[in-house]
Amino acid sequence: MALTIPRRTGLAGLDWRALVRTPWPGLALAGLAMVVGAAISGSAAGFPAHWVPSSQNAFTSLDNWISAHQTSAPIFTDVVTPVGGGLGHAVNAVVDVLTWLGWPGVLALAVFAALAAGTYRTATFAAVVIAGFGLLGLWSYSIATLGLMTVSIAVAVAIGIPLGVAAGFSQVVERVVRPMLDAAQMIPAYVYLLPAVILLGIGNPAGVAVTVIYATPPVVRLTALGIRAVRADVLEAGRSFGSTRWQLLVKVQLPLAVRPILLGINQVIMMALSIVVLASLIGAGGLGDPVLQGLTVQNLGQSLTAGIAIVAMAMLLDRIVSAAGSRVGSAHEARAARSDRWRRPLIGGGALVVLAVAFVSHYGFGVGAFPTNWSFSIESPVNTGAAWLEQHLYHFWSVPVIGGTGNLSSFLTLDILNPITRFLGALPWWLAVFGTAAAGVLAGGVRRGVQLGLCVVGIGLLGVWQDGATTLAQVVVALVLCVLVGFPIGVLAYWWPWLDRALRPVLDTLQTMPAFVYLIPVVVFFSVGNVAGVIASFVYAVPATIRLTILGLKGVRPDIIEAGRAFGSTRLQILRKVELPAARPAMLLAVNQTIMLVLAEVIVAALVGAGGLGYDVVVGLDRDEFGLGLAAGIGILLFGVVFDRLTQGAGEGGLSRGAGRMQMI
Amino acid sequence: MNRTKGLRGWKARAGIAATAVASLGLALAAVGGAPAGASSSKPTITLATNSWEGSLSNNVVAQYVIEHDLHYTVNLLTIDEIPTWPAMASGKVSAVMEVWGHSPLYAQYVKGNHEVIDAGLEGPDGNIGWYVPTYLLKAHPELATWQGLKKDWKLFVTPQSSPKGEFLDGSPSYVTNDAALVNTLGLNLKVVYAGTEAAQLAQIERIYKAHGAVLFYWYTPQYINALYKFSEITLPPFTAACAKLATTKIDCAYPPYNLYKAMSAQLPKTAPAVASFIKRFHWTSDDQNAVGYDMAVKNMSQTAAAAAFVNSHKALVQSWLSGPDTKTLAPVAGT
Repeated sequence: MALTIPRRTGLAGLDWRALVRTPWPGLALAGLAMVVGAAISGSAAGFPAHWVPSSQNAFTSLDNWISAHQTSAPIFTDVVTPVGGGLGHAVNAVVDVLTWLGWPGVLALAVFAALAAGTYRTATFAAVVIAGFGLLGLWSYSIATLGLMTVSIAVAVAIGIPLGVAAGFSQVVERVVRPMLDAAQMIPAYVYLLPAVILLGIGNPAGVAVTVIYATPPVVRLTALGIRAVRADVLEAGRSFGSTRWQLLVKVQLPLAVRPILLGINQVIMMALSIVVLASLIGAGGLGDPVLQGLTVQNLGQSLTAGIAIVAMAMLLDRIVSAAGSRVGSAHEARAARSDRWRRPLIGGGALVVLAVAFVSHYGFGVGAFPTNWSFSIESPVNTGAAWLEQHLYHFWSVPVIGGTGNLSSFLTLDILNPITRFLGALPWWLAVFGTAAAGVLAGGVRRGVQLGLCVVGIGLLGVWQDGATTLAQVVVALVLCVLVGFPIGVLAYWWPWLDRALRPVLDTLQTMPAFVYLIPVVVFFSVGNVAGVIASFVYAVPATIRLTILGLKGVRPDIIEAGRAFGSTRLQILRKVELPAARPAMLLAVNQTIMLVLAEVIVAALVGAGGLGYDVVVGLDRDEFGLGLAAGIGILLFGVVFDRLTQGAGEGGLSRGAGRMQMI
Repeated sequence: MNRTKGLRGWKARAGIAATAVASLGLALAAVGGAPAGASSSKPTITLATNSWEGSLSNNVVAQYVIEHDLHYTVNLLTIDEIPTWPAMASGKVSAVMEVWGHSPLYAQYVKGNHEVIDAGLEGPDGNIGWYVPTYLLKAHPELATWQGLKKDWKLFVTPQSSPKGEFLDGSPSYVTNDAALVNTLGLNLKVVYAGTEAAQLAQIERIYKAHGAVLFYWYTPQYINALYKFSEITLPPFTAACAKLATTKIDCAYPPYNLYKAMSAQLPKTAPAVASFIKRFHWTSDDQNAVGYDMAVKNMSQTAAAAAFVNSHKALVQSWLSGPDTKTLAPVAGT
């Protein structure tokens, strides 16, 4: 539609620029080449095994070297071990404080923090959540998790903001840091659980380290984005007043970048809480423990209860930070300035009230942990409900017309996933490499093409070609499901604001609920295997698809839509001809983010029988095969890089991606 | 103009942060002295809880006895099997009450650097094998032995394993020879890993409730065996010669596992009474299953289940407090 995006038509009316900008024609072309190639070659299928170096052994010997030198080499005795000890002490200190405050003190502290940052509504929410921890019988677990999260988030922010500032100032730093961020986000935390334990010790030290590695990238990215976004004329004005570089940073750039930075902190919180259960695998304790115990005895209610507590904690921390963030926003400036007069005395008074409550309850009444006889259990209604669903949804007679989930599962396995896996596994390696490279050239030029081709060679050299094919098939199917379900729901939520509002808490829950909670339901409904894996990934990734779809459509300029209406177009016509084309970059971003999230869920997929690279990573932890785990982890990273660079589209790389992450919350 | 206000907002934020930090610091200072002194004389004992129910059953009973009779505080720590060993080496985990095999770790930590001590046999013999639901044997009595699978593999075909029959394995962390066995015995089966024992059990339960066919890796002691009827398929007998084969060539049943206990080398120094108790702890599969059943099926709390067991087994518990140490027996190599 000429109205929305004026395009220059090139040779013979074909829009070459658009072709280069979108990856789809490139992908289709590459796909076609692969099919033809596979048909004519046949014998040269897969990746030549004798080319695979023994990199896995190299990784394992690195692991052995560390174990052998841990008590002698200065890098360990003088740096790593003390750092680990320090982290452990920090967590213990926070837990000690929270324990000493007792439940009335923690409740008062949370309400005070919520009130200081937000409104009475935030405070009410805080009170409900904190009381909920106790009422659900999870008080001490929640305190342990709160301690671990406080320290992890503080360390992540303390590392992330300076790093982000440096990356925002310097292209060189940005170029060095970016692949590290990609690796930290895409290599599953499972891979470095065991090394973290060996280097830093089990429990809190390793728990903090793993959480920090996984959760820091967003705040680095968003800080850099915020620093760069400060307008040149503002900087110039600052300079003309004779400000030094440091003054510019502290007085101009950081204050103006406060919103993206707070958004980054928000993302850190979400990501940190999403791996609480992993921390329990290495003895860090907390809310992950009841999740895993429920799993061991097939008690969905127990796992779900703890899962809800994790979700609630994420929402609470998120709301407090968001509220603080929105106060800084320009729209609130006038009000904030006015309220500053009574704010400071109130804050001082609040702190005193918290301490007073703690002292009185502690020394006056001897109150500490939440009284266990006040708690109640939601386990049995949950388990009863789950059993009912299980009986009524699985078999083919249970749902009219489409059949039960069991039938859906067999169909997906037999007719979709197995053929795709076989096809990908049998693909000659050179064809896969050149196909990917060709798509890369179309999406972003020769350099990107070479880069992506090398990534595919790397997957072969790591010795995980076949498992890569299994994983790739699942990623593709999960992506298609996400798009098929997510786009329409996103459009409906864009049309009907009530649906948008109703969806929000549901999407929040799906994104932060630990996947370990829904392992059993997924298996019960979809049977052990690759479909269960696809469904688990779908559940985790589809909220982002829906959110970014809504966001993209909302971002379309109203005057364009008005113009469409003036031509007498129907709602559907406007959607198809005006809104969707205009929202195209956002939709591409939705696809990009969906793939990243599906890849992040590869490990969980392996826990319900999906095999592939995720299984190798799990074996790495479970059987002490660090080499295999790391090789598969890097394989996942390479897949991630290929998909990311293909779907980012040329020219609109870094910035829009950061922006998308920024608004995903 | 606007910007100055923005800056003031920023400062207010800094003010909040400073106040919060200050009040936390104050509270920290208040805490600092109090609890540290009380616990320094007796260390807290940490028992590792691994991912199967039996591991928890051992621990709740041990916890109950150590707390009530030896008066130490016990903390149960959920942790994976492999990280348990470095944790014992560093002393952060005091002991683990049930170990299945793991001879490489045994060689590294017990025989190698002496950071972990073998605390003797736990009592139950761990038995790993191939199982089917017992009801299947009515129509297919030949499934009593592995030869029956030559014909009956068709029963177990699933979309996941198609066109072969499915052999359902559990967590990758558990010791398995199943892929090798399928090959060496020439069976038309495909090994499918559920990835976690929870997923495997969910799958078995669903099929069991619908009276379907499922062939799976399973073991005793396991509390769920008290709830469902499973039958073991006889595999070619375990021999010493077979144990020496490469892991991909194995063609016999699993060896019996002498489940054992292990503890940190530091424990006898820091808490000698607890170390002695752990060396004496010894019971049976049935004991363990009873405690697991109380917790998982009857939904009793950990303390209640432990108390019920201890109160009904007074003589046994007494032998853990004053009896002889249990025998030690190094795990079979290659497991």
